[in-house]
Amino acid sequence: MTLDWSIVPASAGALAHGALITIALTVLTMAVAVPCGIVVALLRESRFKPIAFLATCFVELFRNLPIILVVYWAFYVMPVVLDLSFSPFVTGLVALCLNNTAYNSETFRSGIRSIRKGQTEAALAMGMSEGQAFRKIVLPQAWRRVLPVLATTWVTLFKDTSLVSVIAVGDLAHTAMQIRSQSFRVIEMLTAMAAIYWLLGYPQAKLADWIHKKFGVTE
Amino acid sequence: MDFNFGPVIESWRFLADGVRITVLLSLSVAACSLTFGTLVALARRYGPKWLQAILIFYIDSMRAIPVLVVLVWFYFAFPIATGINLPPFLSALVALSFNLTAYVAEIVRAGMESVRPGQVRAGLALGMSTPQIVRKIVLPQAFVRMMPALGNVLTLTVKDTAIAAVIAVPELMRRADAIAGQTYTPVEVFSTVMLLYFCIIFPITRGVDIVYKRISFLGRS
Amino acid sequence: MTIATAPQTAATVLQYRDVQKLYGDFVALQGVSMEVKKQQVVCLIGPSGSGKSTLLRCTNALETIDGGEILFDGVRLPKDRTAIRKVRQRMGMVFQNFELFPHKTAIENVIMGPSTVLGLSDEASRDRAEALLKKVGLADKAKNYPANLSGGQQQRVAIARALAMEPEVMLFDEPTSALDPETIGEVLNVMKALADDGMTMIVVTHEMTFARRVADHVVVFERGEIIEQGPPKQIFEAPTTARTRDFLGHLGWDG
Repeated sequence: MTLDWSIVPASAGALAHGALITIALTVLTMAVAVPCGIVVALLRESRFKPIAFLATCFVELFRNLPIILVVYWAFYVMPVVLDLSFSPFVTGLVALCLNNTAYNSETFRSGIRSIRKGQTEAALAMGMSEGQAFRKIVLPQAWRRVLPVLATTWVTLFKDTSLVSVIAVGDLAHTAMQIRSQSFRVIEMLTAMAAIYWLLGYPQAKLADWIHKKFGVTE
Repeated sequence: MDFNFGPVIESWRFLADGVRITVLLSLSVAACSLTFGTLVALARRYGPKWLQAILIFYIDSMRAIPVLVVLVWFYFAFPIATGINLPPFLSALVALSFNLTAYVAEIVRAGMESVRPGQVRAGLALGMSTPQIVRKIVLPQAFVRMMPALGNVLTLTVKDTAIAAVIAVPELMRRADAIAGQTYTPVEVFSTVMLLYFCIIFPITRGVDIVYKRISFLGRS
Repeated sequence: MTIATAPQTAATVLQYRDVQKLYGDFVALQGVSMEVKKQQVVCLIGPSGSGKSTLLRCTNALETIDGGEILFDGVRLPKDRTAIRKVRQRMGMVFQNFELFPHKTAIENVIMGPSTVLGLSDEASRDRAEALLKKVGLADKAKNYPANLSGGQQQRVAIARALAMEPEVMLFDEPTSALDPETIGEVLNVMKALADDGMTMIVVTHEMTFARRVADHVVVFERGEIIEQGPPKQIFEAPTTARTRDFLGHLGWDG
């Protein structure tokens, strides 16, 4: 077995482009899924029961599906049902957003629920309005619970973006596997792919640990 | 818009067999990850320093690299590098277990750390040895406390097995893709399979919740 | 009511000589010397953080000491792990927070020591455990998990668990501090009965009535040092130091 690592520097440009798309997918998904997650979390608490029920269905459905299936579904089914056609990038983005919105809404919901009722009652007893109590008392405390979970979700999302490679989005995984099948330098390209993911993902995982330590609440 | 569920219904045996393989792979991976994850957690806590360093590196790396990448590497690169050829199912079993073991190890570690130090002291005061304390006091309580997290890993396992479709393991996802491609009915096939996955994963999520509510007192000291 | 008082000639079970314990720069124990004779009940009293519990934990080597020595049955506490375990098997300990094993029923908690450590047969350890639960008045709660027992009941199970090792001395670390007021009595009664049976006991406590009525010897701690020790009559009725008077005064104790 002879290894020829020169294929890796030779493909540096393509790999870098793939890595950029991976990062862009992560950032854009989070940018959409955080606000959407908040909205869905609030909808689930809605006093209008059908809305709350629909929001719950949405969350339970997407939390309990493999992401790769959601990606396929978005690619094959969504265009037919909605009569819209998106580029693979946007299709992948939609799939990741659906999934992460569901996760984030659970994070926000449990974050808000974790604040003891006594805290709201104390604020109301001081004469604050419900809105004030939520903004000034509940949110700042809930934030400490939410942030570490969001950090973990971020790292998971970064890795999950690799799954959109199955619908030919030109992300890092797809790019590396394309070069592998053209050049037949299997070990070299797959190892390079793993190494690049590691280089990008490792600091993120460590950052998430740090956020857990700094903001995490231990019971 | 017309739907044609004919092809889905005609190939129900084919899909059912996919469900069987999905469940089989999930259970095998879960069993391996739980066993090795516990061992890794114990070695990380009680093992020699050099071993701890290696295990921490392994765990953190698995948290940084996508499952897909591990899976593809094991299936395509590993046989070339070692000369060992594994069939797709075994490759998936090894790769997914290799990945999930790291997660289980982290969960077990956190679970063991969450057992109050007073419990260990109580065991010491009875004259128990450290292995006895770990086996009889710390681990049983830790496993109760870890149940929600381990339940999550179990659902994650089922979800991850779908990725094994990429290396041609004939599980549910792979079969759905095959039928969809042959019959040109992707809407019907993928929607059906979505429902099937939901029916596998949702009961696990709920079941773990219900069981945990009933036994959580066993881990509360 | 009979209170077994230790004869003056009784053998010394535990002897502390100039014991010192440091946590970094903090002096937890300093120059502590005292002894515990067979069948004696020794109560350690004093403000929180004065070193009483630390001394108790040093006694069965849950903590190591930094100076002086502790002799158990005339032998210095060993450093070797296996030897320490042997020593611990001869001492029973009861904790402030009970520390019952939540995944085991009451009787399984009591069985744990004899079966895993002493290697008794299942039947022998079960018989022993049943007898002990009866002794602490909880025969009917044998199959309950700790979560279904009140604090006082949990602590009585914990006492039975410690007794199951047939220890030569019992160490009580603030056994009633975590209890609701209405369940303190049932635990103190069990301890009193043990003392009456002639068990050698060291009790860290804030229950002054118990110390006064049951103890043979009372030791007053402050800031890691013994400021006074003697029979309860002396400590509670005629303390010789101003600091003891101060401490008892803060408790609202007026002799």
